[in-house]
Amino acid sequence: MNIIEASNVVKTFTEGRESVQVLRGVSLNVERGEIVALEGPSGSGKTTLLSILGCILTPSEGEVIIDGQRVTRDESVLPGIRRRSIGFVFQQFNLFGALTAQENIEYALNLKGTRGRDARVESDQLLEAVGLGERKRFLPRDLSGGQKQRVAIARALAGNAPLLLADEPTANIDTATATQILELFRRLAKEQNRTLLIVTHDPKVRAITDRVLHIADGLIKETP
Amino acid sequence: MIDIARKILLHDKLRFLITVSGVAFAVTLVCVQVGLFAGLLSSATVTIEKSDADIWITSKNTANVDFSVPFSESFVQRVRSVPGVERADNLIVWFSRINLPTGATEGILLYGLENFTRWKLPWKIEDGDAENLRRGNFIMLDASARKRYGTFATGDFREISGHRLKIIGSTQEAKSFTTTPMAFIDYRLLQQIDPIALGDKTTYVLVKLLPGADAEAARAEIQRRLPYHDVHLKNHWAQLSKSYWVTSTGIGLNMGITVFLGCLVGVVVVAQTLYTSVMDHFKEFATVKAIGGSNGDIYRIIAKQAVIAAVCGFILGAGMSLLMQPIMASVDLALILKPEFFGIVFVGTVALCLVASAISFRKIATLDPALVFRS
Repeated sequence: MNIIEASNVVKTFTEGRESVQVLRGVSLNVERGEIVALEGPSGSGKTTLLSILGCILTPSEGEVIIDGQRVTRDESVLPGIRRRSIGFVFQQFNLFGALTAQENIEYALNLKGTRGRDARVESDQLLEAVGLGERKRFLPRDLSGGQKQRVAIARALAGNAPLLLADEPTANIDTATATQILELFRRLAKEQNRTLLIVTHDPKVRAITDRVLHIADGLIKETP
Repeated sequence: MIDIARKILLHDKLRFLITVSGVAFAVTLVCVQVGLFAGLLSSATVTIEKSDADIWITSKNTANVDFSVPFSESFVQRVRSVPGVERADNLIVWFSRINLPTGATEGILLYGLENFTRWKLPWKIEDGDAENLRRGNFIMLDASARKRYGTFATGDFREISGHRLKIIGSTQEAKSFTTTPMAFIDYRLLQQIDPIALGDKTTYVLVKLLPGADAEAARAEIQRRLPYHDVHLKNHWAQLSKSYWVTSTGIGLNMGITVFLGCLVGVVVVAQTLYTSVMDHFKEFATVKAIGGSNGDIYRIIAKQAVIAAVCGFILGAGMSLLMQPIMASVDLALILKPEFFGIVFVGTVALCLVASAISFRKIATLDPALVFRS
Protein backbone atom coordinates (compact mmCIF):
# COMPACT_ATOMS: atom_id res chain seq x y z
CA MET A 1 0.00 0.00 0.00
CA ASN A 2 1.39 3.39 -0.97
CA ILE A 3 1.65 6.04 1.69
CA ILE A 4 2.83 8.65 -0.81
CA GLU A 5 1.17 8.94 -4.21
CA ALA A 6 2.27 11.90 -6.25
CA SER A 7 1.53 12.29 -9.93
CA ASN A 8 2.60 15.06 -12.31
CA VAL A 9 3.34 17.47 -9.49
CA VAL A 10 4.24 20.91 -10.72
CA LYS A 11 5.26 23.76 -8.42
CA THR A 12 5.70 27.25 -9.73
CA PHE A 13 6.80 30.17 -7.57
CA THR A 14 5.80 33.60 -8.77
CA GLU A 15 7.36 36.82 -7.58
CA GLY A 16 6.28 39.93 -9.41
CA ARG A 17 6.46 39.18 -13.12
CA GLU A 18 8.96 36.38 -12.61
CA SER A 19 7.78 32.78 -12.48
CA VAL A 20 10.07 29.91 -11.64
CA GLN A 21 8.95 26.33 -12.18
CA VAL A 22 10.79 24.35 -9.51
CA LEU A 23 9.01 21.01 -10.01
CA ARG A 24 8.12 20.09 -13.59
CA GLY A 25 5.84 17.08 -13.28
CA VAL A 26 7.14 14.85 -10.52
CA SER A 27 5.52 11.47 -10.08
CA LEU A 28 6.39 9.33 -7.10
CA ASN A 29 4.98 6.42 -5.14
CA VAL A 30 6.39 5.28 -1.80
CA GLU A 31 5.13 2.21 0.05
CA ARG A 32 4.44 1.95 3.75
CA GLY A 33 7.58 0.86 5.61
CA GLU A 34 9.90 1.84 2.78
CA ILE A 35 13.05 3.90 3.35
CA VAL A 36 13.82 6.22 0.46
CA ALA A 37 16.58 8.75 -0.08
CA LEU A 38 16.02 11.79 -2.24
CA GLU A 39 19.25 13.22 -3.59
CA GLY A 40 19.99 16.10 -5.87
CA PRO A 41 22.06 19.22 -6.26
CA SER A 42 21.19 22.50 -4.61
CA GLY A 43 18.24 24.19 -6.31
CA SER A 44 17.02 20.95 -7.85
CA GLY A 45 13.67 21.08 -6.01
CA LYS A 46 14.37 18.61 -3.18
CA THR A 47 13.12 20.80 -0.39
CA THR A 48 10.14 22.01 -2.42
CA LEU A 49 9.11 18.41 -3.05
CA LEU A 50 9.64 17.60 0.64
CA SER A 51 7.48 20.59 1.58
CA ILE A 52 4.68 19.41 -0.71
CA LEU A 53 4.89 15.82 0.52
CA GLY A 54 4.94 17.23 4.08
CA CYS A 55 1.79 19.25 3.38
CA ILE A 56 3.59 22.50 4.05
CA LEU A 57 3.18 23.67 0.47
CA THR A 58 0.46 22.80 -2.01
CA PRO A 59 1.28 21.80 -5.59
CA SER A 60 0.49 24.23 -8.42
CA GLU A 61 -0.63 21.27 -10.54
CA GLY A 62 -0.88 17.52 -10.17
CA GLU A 63 -2.17 15.31 -7.42
CA VAL A 64 -0.71 14.31 -4.08
CA ILE A 65 -2.21 11.75 -1.73
CA ILE A 66 -0.59 11.25 1.69
CA ASP A 67 -1.70 8.29 3.82
CA GLY A 68 -4.95 8.18 1.83
CA GLN A 69 -5.67 11.91 2.25
CA ARG A 70 -5.75 14.13 -0.81
CA VAL A 71 -3.65 17.29 -0.51
CA THR A 72 -5.88 20.06 -1.81
CA ARG A 73 -5.28 23.74 -2.45
CA ASP A 74 -7.33 24.43 0.68
CA GLU A 75 -4.57 25.15 3.17
CA SER A 76 -6.87 24.75 6.15
CA VAL A 77 -6.83 20.96 5.75
CA LEU A 78 -3.04 20.73 5.74
CA PRO A 79 -2.39 21.06 9.51
CA GLY A 80 -4.73 18.12 10.08
CA ILE A 81 -2.79 15.89 7.66
CA ARG A 82 0.49 16.99 9.24
CA ARG A 83 -0.82 16.15 12.71
CA ARG A 84 -2.17 12.73 11.79
CA SER A 85 0.30 11.40 9.28
CA ILE A 86 3.65 13.18 9.20
CA GLY A 87 6.67 13.53 11.42
CA PHE A 88 9.50 15.89 10.51
CA VAL A 89 13.21 15.83 11.24
CA PHE A 90 15.02 19.01 10.29
CA GLN A 91 18.60 19.80 9.43
CA GLN A 92 18.71 22.49 12.15
CA PHE A 93 16.84 20.22 14.65
CA ASN A 94 14.32 23.04 15.30
CA LEU A 95 13.77 22.06 18.91
CA PHE A 96 12.04 24.54 21.21
CA GLY A 97 14.85 26.13 23.19
CA ALA A 98 12.72 26.81 26.26
CA LEU A 99 11.47 23.22 26.54
CA THR A 100 13.35 20.21 27.87
CA ALA A 101 13.94 17.19 25.66
CA GLN A 102 10.88 15.52 27.15
CA GLU A 103 8.72 18.64 26.85
CA ASN A 104 9.67 19.03 23.18
CA ILE A 105 8.20 15.61 22.50
CA GLU A 106 5.28 16.09 24.84
CA TYR A 107 4.34 19.35 23.16
CA ALA A 108 4.31 17.65 19.74
CA LEU A 109 2.07 14.98 21.24
CA ASN A 110 -0.18 17.68 22.70
CA LEU A 111 -0.60 19.22 19.25
CA LYS A 112 -1.48 15.77 17.90
CA GLY A 113 -4.17 15.39 20.56
CA THR A 114 -2.41 13.31 23.25
CA ARG A 115 -2.42 15.10 26.60
CA GLY A 116 -1.51 14.69 30.26
CA ARG A 117 -0.13 11.43 31.58
CA ASP A 118 -0.47 9.62 28.25
CA ALA A 119 1.75 12.23 26.59
CA ARG A 120 4.25 12.03 29.46
CA VAL A 121 4.47 8.23 29.25
CA GLU A 122 4.80 8.21 25.47
CA SER A 123 7.49 10.90 25.49
CA ASP A 124 9.41 8.89 28.11
CA GLN A 125 9.20 5.78 25.93
CA LEU A 126 10.32 7.66 22.84
CA LEU A 127 13.31 9.16 24.63
CA GLU A 128 14.26 5.70 25.90
CA ALA A 129 13.96 4.40 22.33
CA VAL A 130 16.45 6.99 21.05
CA GLY A 131 18.74 6.39 24.02
CA LEU A 132 18.18 9.69 25.80
CA GLY A 133 16.13 8.55 28.78
CA GLU A 134 18.77 9.94 31.11
CA ARG A 135 18.69 13.38 29.53
CA LYS A 136 15.00 13.98 29.31
CA ARG A 137 15.14 17.03 31.55
CA PHE A 138 17.95 18.70 29.60
CA LEU A 139 17.30 21.83 27.58
CA PRO A 140 18.43 21.66 23.94
CA ARG A 141 21.32 24.06 24.69
CA ASP A 142 22.75 21.44 27.04
CA LEU A 143 22.63 18.65 24.44
CA SER A 144 25.16 17.83 21.72
CA GLY A 145 24.21 18.00 18.03
CA GLY A 146 23.70 14.25 17.88
CA GLN A 147 21.57 14.27 21.01
CA LYS A 148 19.45 17.10 19.65
CA GLN A 149 18.87 15.12 16.47
CA ARG A 150 17.85 12.10 18.53
CA VAL A 151 15.30 14.25 20.33
CA ALA A 152 14.10 15.51 16.94
CA ILE A 153 13.72 11.92 15.76
CA ALA A 154 11.77 11.04 18.90
CA ARG A 155 9.54 14.06 18.27
CA ALA A 156 8.97 12.94 14.66
CA LEU A 157 8.00 9.48 15.89
CA ALA A 158 5.54 10.93 18.43
CA GLY A 159 1.92 10.26 17.70
CA ASN A 160 2.66 7.25 15.46
CA ALA A 161 2.87 9.28 12.27
CA PRO A 162 3.26 6.70 9.48
CA LEU A 163 5.38 9.01 7.31
CA LEU A 164 8.69 10.47 8.51
CA LEU A 165 10.26 13.20 6.39
CA ALA A 166 13.86 14.14 7.14
CA ASP A 167 15.69 17.10 5.66
CA GLU A 168 19.46 16.58 5.72
CA PRO A 169 19.33 14.93 9.16
CA THR A 170 23.08 14.31 9.26
CA ALA A 171 24.24 17.68 7.96
CA ASN A 172 25.01 19.25 11.31
CA ILE A 173 26.56 16.32 13.14
CA ASP A 174 29.92 14.57 12.98
CA THR A 175 30.45 11.43 10.89
CA ALA A 176 30.45 8.92 13.74
CA THR A 177 27.29 10.36 15.24
CA ALA A 178 25.67 10.57 11.81
CA THR A 179 26.21 6.84 11.32
CA GLN A 180 24.63 6.11 14.72
CA ILE A 181 21.70 8.42 13.96
CA LEU A 182 21.06 6.81 10.59
CA GLU A 183 21.17 3.35 12.09
CA LEU A 184 18.79 4.43 14.82
CA PHE A 185 16.50 5.96 12.24
CA ARG A 186 16.52 2.80 10.13
CA ARG A 187 15.93 0.50 13.08
CA LEU A 188 13.01 2.50 14.47
CA ALA A 189 11.41 2.95 11.04
CA LYS A 190 11.61 -0.75 10.28
CA GLU A 191 10.50 -1.87 13.77
CA GLN A 192 7.46 0.36 13.64
CA ASN A 193 6.75 -0.02 9.90
CA ARG A 194 7.13 3.71 9.27
CA THR A 195 7.94 5.17 5.89
CA LEU A 196 11.07 7.27 5.85
CA LEU A 197 11.91 9.76 3.12
CA ILE A 198 15.30 11.41 3.59
CA VAL A 199 16.44 14.41 1.58
CA THR A 200 20.21 14.35 1.67
CA HIS A 201 23.58 15.08 0.13
CA ASP A 202 25.22 12.56 2.46
CA PRO A 203 26.28 9.35 0.65
CA LYS A 204 26.18 7.45 3.98
CA VAL A 205 22.42 7.66 3.88
CA ARG A 206 22.30 5.26 0.93
CA ALA A 207 23.43 2.48 3.24
CA ILE A 208 20.15 2.43 5.12
CA THR A 209 17.73 3.01 2.26
CA ASP A 210 15.65 0.63 0.19
CA ARG A 211 15.97 2.87 -2.86
CA VAL A 212 17.41 6.19 -3.90
CA LEU A 213 15.67 8.83 -5.98
CA HIS A 214 17.55 11.54 -7.76
CA ILE A 215 16.02 14.88 -8.57
CA ALA A 216 17.45 17.33 -11.04
CA ASP A 217 15.88 20.31 -12.75
CA GLY A 218 12.55 19.56 -11.14
CA LEU A 219 12.29 15.99 -12.41
CA ILE A 220 12.86 12.69 -10.60
CA LYS A 221 14.77 9.71 -11.82
CA GLU A 222 15.37 6.55 -9.85
CA THR A 223 18.96 5.52 -9.20
CA PRO A 224 19.51 1.75 -9.30
CA MET B 1 -0.67 20.42 28.04
CA ILE B 2 2.85 21.79 27.94
CA ASP B 3 2.68 25.47 28.80
CA ILE B 4 4.95 26.57 25.98
CA ALA B 5 3.79 30.20 26.22
CA ARG B 6 4.95 30.55 29.82
CA LYS B 7 8.16 28.61 29.21
CA ILE B 8 9.18 30.73 26.21
CA LEU B 9 8.31 33.90 28.12
CA LEU B 10 10.28 32.95 31.23
CA HIS B 11 13.16 31.47 29.25
CA ASP B 12 14.39 34.97 28.43
CA LYS B 13 14.20 36.45 31.92
CA LEU B 14 15.58 39.87 31.03
CA ARG B 15 13.03 40.40 28.29
CA PHE B 16 10.28 39.20 30.61
CA LEU B 17 11.47 41.62 33.29
CA ILE B 18 11.41 44.50 30.80
CA THR B 19 7.89 43.59 29.69
CA VAL B 20 6.58 43.27 33.24
CA SER B 21 8.33 46.50 34.26
CA GLY B 22 6.67 48.34 31.39
CA VAL B 23 3.25 47.08 32.40
CA ALA B 24 3.94 47.75 36.08
CA PHE B 25 5.06 51.29 35.31
CA ALA B 26 1.90 51.93 33.30
CA VAL B 27 -0.32 50.43 36.02
CA THR B 28 1.41 52.50 38.72
CA LEU B 29 1.09 55.67 36.66
CA VAL B 30 -2.60 55.10 36.03
CA CYS B 31 -3.37 54.05 39.63
CA VAL B 32 -1.48 56.93 41.23
CA GLN B 33 -2.84 59.52 38.84
CA VAL B 34 -6.44 58.36 39.09
CA GLY B 35 -6.06 57.74 42.84
CA LEU B 36 -4.80 61.28 43.41
CA PHE B 37 -7.56 62.61 41.20
CA ALA B 38 -10.13 60.66 43.19
CA GLY B 39 -8.55 61.95 46.39
CA LEU B 40 -8.78 65.53 45.19
CA LEU B 41 -12.35 65.09 44.03
CA SER B 42 -13.35 63.48 47.29
CA SER B 43 -12.13 66.58 49.13
CA ALA B 44 -14.21 68.65 46.72
CA THR B 45 -17.36 67.02 48.03
CA VAL B 46 -16.32 65.75 51.43
CA THR B 47 -18.79 67.90 53.37
CA ILE B 48 -21.62 66.93 51.02
CA GLU B 49 -20.81 63.25 51.45
CA LYS B 50 -20.27 63.39 55.21
CA SER B 51 -23.14 65.65 56.23
CA ASP B 52 -26.53 64.22 57.07
CA ALA B 53 -28.36 66.38 54.53
CA ASP B 54 -30.46 64.66 51.85
CA ILE B 55 -31.07 67.87 49.91
CA TRP B 56 -28.96 70.99 49.46
CA ILE B 57 -30.53 74.30 48.50
CA THR B 58 -28.18 76.78 46.87
CA SER B 59 -28.46 80.14 45.22
CA LYS B 60 -29.14 79.95 41.49
CA ASN B 61 -26.35 78.37 39.43
CA THR B 62 -23.93 77.87 42.28
CA ALA B 63 -21.16 75.86 40.64
CA ASN B 64 -19.75 73.96 43.60
CA VAL B 65 -19.93 73.80 47.35
CA ASP B 66 -16.88 76.01 47.91
CA PHE B 67 -18.17 78.88 45.75
CA SER B 68 -21.17 79.85 47.80
CA VAL B 69 -23.39 82.85 47.18
CA PRO B 70 -25.46 84.36 50.03
CA PHE B 71 -29.25 84.56 50.02
CA SER B 72 -31.83 85.40 52.63
CA GLU B 73 -31.82 83.06 55.59
CA SER B 74 -35.59 83.32 55.90
CA PHE B 75 -36.14 80.92 52.97
CA VAL B 76 -35.48 78.08 55.37
CA GLN B 77 -38.99 78.62 56.78
CA ARG B 78 -40.58 77.78 53.43
CA VAL B 79 -38.60 74.59 53.30
CA ARG B 80 -39.50 73.39 56.78
CA SER B 81 -43.18 73.25 55.85
CA VAL B 82 -42.69 71.02 52.83
CA PRO B 83 -44.22 67.54 53.30
CA GLY B 84 -41.54 64.90 53.86
CA VAL B 85 -39.03 67.33 55.38
CA GLU B 86 -37.90 66.31 58.85
CA ARG B 87 -35.71 69.34 59.42
CA ALA B 88 -34.00 72.17 57.53
CA ASP B 89 -31.22 74.47 58.70
CA ASN B 90 -29.09 77.24 57.26
CA LEU B 91 -25.44 76.58 56.53
CA ILE B 92 -22.90 79.24 55.69
CA VAL B 93 -19.77 78.27 53.77
CA TRP B 94 -17.51 81.27 53.47
CA PHE B 95 -13.94 82.04 52.51
CA SER B 96 -12.12 84.35 54.88
CA ARG B 97 -8.60 85.10 56.04
CA ILE B 98 -7.05 84.11 59.32
CA ASN B 99 -4.31 86.14 61.04
CA LEU B 100 -1.34 84.02 62.03
CA PRO B 101 0.99 84.66 64.98
CA THR B 102 3.72 85.45 62.47
CA GLY B 103 1.74 88.44 61.24
CA ALA B 104 0.90 86.76 57.97
CA THR B 105 -2.62 85.92 56.86
CA GLU B 106 -3.85 82.73 55.22
CA GLY B 107 -7.06 81.65 53.57
CA ILE B 108 -9.61 79.69 55.55
CA LEU B 109 -12.92 78.08 54.57
CA LEU B 110 -15.43 78.61 57.35
CA TYR B 111 -18.44 76.36 57.91
CA GLY B 112 -21.14 77.94 60.08
CA LEU B 113 -24.07 76.02 61.55
CA GLU B 114 -26.27 76.51 64.61
CA ASN B 115 -26.17 72.83 65.47
CA PHE B 116 -23.21 70.90 64.10
CA THR B 117 -23.87 67.55 65.71
CA ARG B 118 -27.37 67.41 64.22
CA TRP B 119 -25.81 67.49 60.74
CA LYS B 120 -22.87 65.23 61.61
CA LEU B 121 -20.37 67.99 60.89
CA PRO B 122 -17.45 67.91 61.49
CA TRP B 123 -17.30 64.15 60.96
CA LYS B 124 -13.86 63.37 62.39
CA ILE B 125 -12.90 65.19 65.56
CA GLU B 126 -9.34 65.00 66.83
CA ASP B 127 -9.96 67.03 69.97
CA GLY B 128 -12.88 68.95 71.52
CA ASP B 129 -16.66 68.90 71.14
CA ALA B 130 -18.53 70.60 68.27
CA GLU B 131 -21.52 71.09 70.62
CA ASN B 132 -19.52 73.82 72.38
CA LEU B 133 -19.07 75.91 69.25
CA ARG B 134 -22.38 77.74 69.89
CA ARG B 135 -21.32 78.77 73.39
CA GLY B 136 -18.95 81.64 72.55
CA ASN B 137 -16.33 83.02 70.19
CA PHE B 138 -15.00 79.61 69.48
CA ILE B 139 -13.57 77.83 66.47
CA MET B 140 -12.43 74.31 65.59
CA LEU B 141 -9.57 74.11 63.10
CA ASP B 142 -8.61 71.18 60.95
CA ALA B 143 -5.36 69.43 61.72
CA SER B 144 -4.28 69.84 58.08
CA ALA B 145 -4.05 73.58 58.80
CA ARG B 146 -0.89 73.08 60.85
CA LYS B 147 1.18 72.92 57.66
CA ARG B 148 -0.10 76.32 56.55
CA TYR B 149 -0.91 78.07 59.83
CA GLY B 150 1.87 76.66 61.98
CA THR B 151 1.30 74.71 65.16
CA PHE B 152 -1.78 75.41 67.25
CA ALA B 153 -3.41 73.76 70.19
CA THR B 154 -6.76 73.77 71.96
CA GLY B 155 -6.91 76.90 74.08
CA ASP B 156 -4.91 79.04 71.64
CA PHE B 157 -6.45 82.13 70.08
CA ARG B 158 -6.55 83.19 66.44
CA GLU B 159 -8.05 86.24 64.77
CA ILE B 160 -10.41 86.31 61.79
CA SER B 161 -11.63 89.68 60.46
CA GLY B 162 -10.96 91.40 63.78
CA HIS B 163 -12.68 88.69 65.82
CA ARG B 164 -10.53 86.97 68.41
CA LEU B 165 -11.54 83.31 68.44
CA LYS B 166 -10.54 80.61 70.90
CA ILE B 167 -9.60 77.25 69.43
CA ILE B 168 -11.70 74.68 71.31
CA GLY B 169 -10.72 71.62 69.32
CA SER B 170 -9.42 70.25 66.07
CA THR B 171 -10.80 68.09 63.30
CA GLN B 172 -9.35 65.79 60.65
CA GLU B 173 -9.88 65.36 56.88
CA ALA B 174 -11.67 68.70 56.61
CA LYS B 175 -9.82 70.15 53.66
CA SER B 176 -11.30 71.73 50.56
CA PHE B 177 -10.47 70.89 46.96
CA THR B 178 -8.17 73.91 46.84
CA THR B 179 -6.42 72.49 49.95
CA THR B 180 -7.66 75.47 51.99
CA PRO B 181 -8.25 74.14 55.51
CA MET B 182 -11.78 74.16 56.83
CA ALA B 183 -12.81 75.56 60.19
CA PHE B 184 -16.08 75.18 62.05
CA ILE B 185 -17.73 78.11 63.75
CA ASP B 186 -21.14 79.07 65.08
CA TYR B 187 -23.59 80.29 62.43
CA ARG B 188 -24.39 83.65 64.10
CA LEU B 189 -20.75 84.29 64.89
CA LEU B 190 -19.86 83.73 61.24
CA GLN B 191 -22.51 86.28 60.21
CA GLN B 192 -20.88 88.76 62.59
CA ILE B 193 -17.46 88.14 61.06
CA ASP B 194 -18.65 89.41 57.68
CA PRO B 195 -21.88 91.31 58.45
CA ILE B 196 -22.00 93.15 55.14
CA ALA B 197 -22.06 89.99 53.06
CA LEU B 198 -23.69 87.65 55.53
CA GLY B 199 -26.06 89.76 57.67
CA ASP B 200 -29.38 87.85 57.82
CA LYS B 201 -28.04 85.69 55.03
CA THR B 202 -27.10 82.08 54.53
CA THR B 203 -25.35 80.34 51.64
CA TYR B 204 -27.09 76.97 51.79
CA VAL B 205 -30.08 75.32 53.34
CA LEU B 206 -29.57 71.74 54.44
CA VAL B 207 -32.60 69.48 54.37
CA LYS B 208 -33.10 66.17 56.13
CA LEU B 209 -36.04 64.11 54.91
CA LEU B 210 -38.31 61.91 56.99
CA PRO B 211 -37.55 58.19 56.74
CA GLY B 212 -39.30 56.75 53.68
CA ALA B 213 -40.02 60.15 52.17
CA ASP B 214 -39.94 60.44 48.38
CA ALA B 215 -36.73 62.42 47.91
CA GLU B 216 -37.42 63.50 44.34
CA ALA B 217 -40.97 64.58 45.17
CA ALA B 218 -39.71 66.60 48.13
CA ARG B 219 -36.98 68.15 46.00
CA ALA B 220 -39.47 69.09 43.30
CA GLU B 221 -41.82 70.64 45.84
CA ILE B 222 -39.00 72.68 47.39
CA GLN B 223 -37.94 73.78 43.93
CA ARG B 224 -41.52 74.85 43.23
CA ARG B 225 -41.56 76.94 46.40
CA LEU B 226 -38.07 78.38 45.79
CA PRO B 227 -38.04 78.98 42.04
CA TYR B 228 -35.04 81.32 42.19
CA HIS B 229 -32.82 78.78 43.92
CA ASP B 230 -31.35 75.45 42.91
CA VAL B 231 -32.45 72.40 44.85
CA HIS B 232 -30.21 69.37 44.58
CA LEU B 233 -30.39 65.86 45.90
CA LYS B 234 -27.20 65.02 47.78
CA ASN B 235 -25.64 62.82 45.08
CA HIS B 236 -26.50 65.21 42.30
CA TRP B 237 -24.98 68.13 44.17
CA ALA B 238 -21.81 66.13 44.82
CA GLN B 239 -21.64 65.20 41.17
CA LEU B 240 -22.15 68.81 40.15
CA SER B 241 -19.38 70.00 42.45
CA LYS B 242 -17.00 67.36 41.11
CA SER B 243 -17.90 68.10 37.50
CA TYR B 244 -17.07 71.74 38.02
CA TRP B 245 -13.49 70.98 39.00
CA VAL B 246 -13.08 68.31 36.36
CA THR B 247 -14.31 70.40 33.45
CA SER B 248 -13.44 73.95 34.40
CA THR B 249 -9.91 73.52 35.69
CA GLY B 250 -8.44 71.15 33.13
CA ILE B 251 -7.59 68.71 35.89
CA GLY B 252 -9.81 66.11 34.23
CA LEU B 253 -8.06 66.59 30.91
CA ASN B 254 -4.69 66.43 32.64
CA MET B 255 -5.63 63.18 34.31
CA GLY B 256 -7.03 61.80 31.05
CA ILE B 257 -3.82 62.60 29.20
CA THR B 258 -1.67 61.02 31.89
CA VAL B 259 -3.83 57.89 31.94
CA PHE B 260 -3.69 57.75 28.16
CA LEU B 261 0.09 58.13 28.19
CA GLY B 262 0.36 55.44 30.87
CA CYS B 263 -1.71 53.07 28.78
CA LEU B 264 0.28 53.98 25.68
CA VAL B 265 3.59 53.28 27.41
CA GLY B 266 2.26 49.91 28.58
CA VAL B 267 0.91 48.98 25.16
CA VAL B 268 4.07 50.05 23.35
CA VAL B 269 6.38 48.18 25.74
CA VAL B 270 4.29 45.01 25.60
CA ALA B 271 3.77 45.23 21.84
CA GLN B 272 7.45 45.83 21.21
CA THR B 273 8.76 43.10 23.49
CA LEU B 274 6.20 40.56 22.32
CA TYR B 275 6.89 41.43 18.70
CA THR B 276 10.65 41.04 19.08
CA SER B 277 10.02 37.82 20.98
CA VAL B 278 7.89 36.58 18.08
CA MET B 279 10.62 37.54 15.62
CA ASP B 280 13.26 35.78 17.73
CA HIS B 281 11.11 32.65 17.93
CA PHE B 282 9.83 32.85 14.38
CA LYS B 283 11.44 29.59 13.38
CA GLU B 284 10.06 27.88 16.48
CA PHE B 285 6.59 29.08 15.56
CA ALA B 286 7.16 27.79 12.01
CA THR B 287 8.05 24.47 13.65
CA VAL B 288 4.78 24.56 15.60
CA LYS B 289 2.99 24.84 12.27
CA ALA B 290 5.14 22.16 10.64
CA ILE B 291 4.39 19.63 13.37
CA GLY B 292 0.67 20.17 13.07
CA GLY B 293 -0.12 23.39 14.90
CA SER B 294 -2.35 26.04 13.40
CA ASN B 295 -2.16 29.82 13.41
CA GLY B 296 -4.70 29.65 16.24
CA ASP B 297 -2.27 27.59 18.35
CA ILE B 298 0.40 30.27 17.89
CA TYR B 299 -2.06 33.12 18.55
CA ARG B 300 -2.95 31.40 21.81
CA ILE B 301 0.73 31.21 22.77
CA ILE B 302 1.26 34.93 22.15
CA ALA B 303 -2.03 35.93 23.78
CA LYS B 304 -1.19 33.86 26.85
CA GLN B 305 2.21 35.53 27.07
CA ALA B 306 0.44 38.89 26.95
CA VAL B 307 -1.92 37.84 29.74
CA ILE B 308 0.97 36.55 31.90
CA ALA B 309 2.82 39.86 31.39
CA ALA B 310 -0.39 41.75 32.20
CA VAL B 311 -1.09 39.81 35.41
CA CYS B 312 2.52 40.03 36.68
CA GLY B 313 2.76 43.71 35.69
CA PHE B 314 -0.58 44.47 37.34
CA ILE B 315 0.40 42.78 40.61
CA LEU B 316 3.69 44.67 40.69
CA GLY B 317 2.07 47.97 39.66
CA ALA B 318 -0.81 47.65 42.11
CA GLY B 319 1.66 46.82 44.88
CA MET B 320 3.76 49.87 44.08
CA SER B 321 0.63 52.04 44.02
CA LEU B 322 -0.37 50.80 47.46
CA LEU B 323 3.14 51.56 48.71
CA MET B 324 2.70 55.11 47.41
CA GLN B 325 -0.34 55.66 49.66
CA PRO B 326 1.57 56.38 52.91
CA ILE B 327 4.13 58.43 50.99
CA MET B 328 1.37 60.60 49.52
CA ALA B 329 -0.37 60.82 52.88
CA SER B 330 2.83 62.21 54.39
CA VAL B 331 2.51 65.20 52.06
CA ASP B 332 -1.22 65.53 52.73
CA LEU B 333 -2.34 64.03 49.44
CA ALA B 334 -5.08 61.44 49.51
CA LEU B 335 -4.47 58.52 47.16
CA ILE B 336 -7.81 56.72 46.92
CA LEU B 337 -7.45 53.18 45.57
CA LYS B 338 -10.66 51.19 45.83
CA PRO B 339 -10.91 47.45 45.07
CA GLU B 340 -13.39 48.11 42.26
CA PHE B 341 -10.92 50.55 40.70
CA PHE B 342 -8.19 47.91 40.85
CA GLY B 343 -10.67 45.55 39.18
CA ILE B 344 -11.17 47.98 36.31
CA VAL B 345 -7.41 48.56 35.97
CA PHE B 346 -6.81 44.79 35.95
CA VAL B 347 -9.35 44.19 33.19
CA GLY B 348 -7.97 47.17 31.26
CA THR B 349 -4.40 45.94 31.66
CA VAL B 350 -5.26 42.48 30.35
CA ALA B 351 -7.30 43.94 27.49
CA LEU B 352 -4.57 46.38 26.44
CA CYS B 353 -1.87 43.72 26.62
CA LEU B 354 -4.02 41.49 24.40
CA VAL B 355 -4.42 44.39 21.97
CA ALA B 356 -0.64 44.87 22.05
CA SER B 357 -0.13 41.17 21.32
CA ALA B 358 -2.46 41.37 18.33
CA ILE B 359 0.22 43.35 16.49
CA SER B 360 2.26 40.14 16.42
CA PHE B 361 -0.72 38.19 15.08
CA ARG B 362 -0.31 39.86 11.68
CA LYS B 363 3.24 38.60 11.48
CA ILE B 364 2.14 35.09 12.40
CA ALA B 365 -0.58 35.14 9.74
CA THR B 366 2.17 35.51 7.11
CA LEU B 367 4.40 32.87 8.70
CA ASP B 368 5.58 30.36 6.14
CA PRO B 369 6.09 26.96 7.74
CA ALA B 370 8.59 26.15 4.97
CA LEU B 371 10.93 28.35 7.01
CA VAL B 372 11.74 25.20 8.99
CA PHE B 373 13.81 23.95 6.07
CA ARG B 374 16.00 27.03 5.89
CA SER B 375 19.33 27.19 7.65
